[in-house]
Order: sequence, then C-alpha cells, then structure tokens
Amino acid sequence: MQIVFSTILSAVIAATLLSCNSSENNSNNNQDNDTAAVAEIDAVAGKDSTPVLPTADTINTNVEQEKVQENVDNFSIAPIIKDYLALKNALVADNGKLAADAGRKLLTTLKTVDMKSVPSGKHKGYMDIADDAMENAEHIGDNAGKIAHQREHLASLSKDINDLIAMFGTPQQLYQQHCPMYNEGKGAIWISEIKEIKNPYYGGEMLTCGSVKKKY
Amino acid sequence: MRRKIKPAVLALLFLFIAIQFYQPARNSNKEQGGTMDIARSYNIPADVKKILHISCYDCHSSNTNHVWYDYIQPVRMMMESHIKRARKDLDFSEWGTYSNRKKERLLTSIKKQIETKEMPPPSYTLMHKNARLNKMQAKVLIDWVGSHE
Repeated sequence: MQIVFSTILSAVIAATLLSCNSSENNSNNNQDNDTAAVAEIDAVAGKDSTPVLPTADTINTNVEQEKVQENVDNFSIAPIIKDYLALKNALVADNGKLAADAGRKLLTTLKTVDMKSVPSGKHKGYMDIADDAMENAEHIGDNAGKIAHQREHLASLSKDINDLIAMFGTPQQLYQQHCPMYNEGKGAIWISEIKEIKNPYYGGEMLTCGSVKKKY
Repeated sequence: MRRKIKPAVLALLFLFIAIQFYQPARNSNKEQGGTMDIARSYNIPADVKKILHISCYDCHSSNTNHVWYDYIQPVRMMMESHIKRARKDLDFSEWGTYSNRKKERLLTSIKKQIETKEMPPPSYTLMHKNARLNKMQAKVLIDWVGSHE
C-alpha cells in the first residue's frame, strides 16, 4: 500500500518537473528564433556580424539573398518549371521514388521564392497558386510508395503550373497536353517540354494516350 | 526472479501515472460552426452535415468530440498529432478562407479518399467505431461532394 502511494506521489512530482522542463524548452526555442532573426537583420544591413555557425536558417537566408539579386528586375518561374518537369517525367517513368524526390525539390524551390521579386499586382494571384502548388508538391514528396496518389496531386499541380505560365509566361517552349481518361473520364492536363505525348497519369500502361492542346 | 520484475512493473506504473498529467489544451472551439465553417459556404443537407460531424470533424475541424479514453495517455498525444496533421491538410472550420483552387482540389480529394476507403483512416476507426462510414453513409457523402466538385 505504502509503495503504491509513494509511487503516485513521486509520479506527481515528476509530472510537475516535466511541465517545468517543457516550458523551459519553449523559452529556449524562442531564444533560438531571436538569434536567427538578429543574424538575418545583420545580414540585411550588410554588417559584419559575429561568426555564426552555418545553421539551416543562415544557409536559407543566403540562398534567398542570391535569388533576390537574380530576380530583382525580372521574376521568372523557370526554376519552378524545371522541377515540375522532372516530377512529371518521373511519373511518366512510373518511378514513385524519383517523383517524391522531385516533389520535395519543387517544394523547396517554391518556398525559397522571394515574394519581393513578384510584381506587386500579381501578389495575390501568385500566392493562391503557390500555396496550392506547395501542398501538392508536399504530398507527392510524402507518398513515394503510392504512385496513384502522387498522380492525383499531379493533376492539381499541373493546373497550378498552367496558371503560373498564363500569369508569368515561359522562356522555354512548352506544351499543354491532355489525357481524356484520367479521373473517371473527367480528364486532366499536364505540361510538357516535348511535343510527343508521354502520359504521366498512366505511364507505361498507356504511354502515348493523349493530345496536344496548346503551345506556349 | 520476482525481485527483478517488481521494480520494473513499478517503474512502468510510475511512468504511466506521470504521463497522465500531460494534458494539452483540447481541440474544442466553443462556437461550433464558426463564420469560416464549410456550412457557411454551402447549403449542406442535414444528413450530410450529420455524417461530416460524426465521421470527419473530430480531426478535420476546430472541434473534436473526444471519447473518454482519448484522455488517457499516450492515446491523447497520438490524437493530438493526428489532428494537427489532419487540420493542416483540410480544416472544415477554415473552409471559407481557402482559395477556389484549393476548394476544388480538396473536394476531388475528399471524394477519392472516401471512395478508396482511405478516409476515415482504419487506424482511427479501430478505436472510434462511430466514425466508420457504412456503404450508405459513404454514398451520401460522395454524392454530395460530387455535386459540388
């Protein structure tokens, strides 16, 4: 009896300690964020900040800064298109793992787009599309073993990419192609760099099914 | 032998009791059907609404109807992470904030996931039998979503 009682008592004490610990952890996290923010401010101001270990945060900041310099005059969706095409081609090849890798890469590319480089009149339009594209890319990245599910997201992602092209244009020759069978006959489009049909929704099963709808 | 077992059992008991004290805030927004709820975007028939509430809202909304054993740890922690992920993908309480593009994608996805029986997930309905969809309920839901796709 006594043993059980003391167990419960010590459990209560342990629980109290636990909750203290977790709140401490929280404040530590906040501190980390603060440091990162300070580093960022320093970097923006162009100051020689004290040597900071290259954490993921600072690396991202550097990458973003390079992007700003590239795109400051002219926003281009070329890096997004490049990753999308790699993803599309992985699904043409029925390779779910490669598609997942490409999905994750596309997600990173979309996340590192600097909003300041997007023309201000197109902000809202871009954000709507990019948010959706990011979710599609993330799901494709998370479902290496479920190629059917990846293809569902490709259908939605392809619409996003199509709308991005309509909004920002493309420096590269691209084709909008159409598969009439996908999604119970509702059909789905995809964007391709080649005129020849290579269907990403069915891959080897029905590689040449589909037609060219539009040339960009 | 017995002497070795006893401390181990006590340690487990200790851990089990200690962990019960961790009870994060409940996922329950008192104003059921807030201004951004999907029910404000469409005129949802009562039978569809009922199915949504029983089978979907526990994870895909800001209002979870917990059953008593949801409060026992570590079930609670599993539930919390499950709900967090579910709401990130689809939150019926936030439907009004979604872009048309996103709504369209989600409707197609909801239909597909119910058809393929991926939703509600078997890992969840194992412990929450009332969330299971029978054939009739699944059809009602699929038909309604299909008419808004």
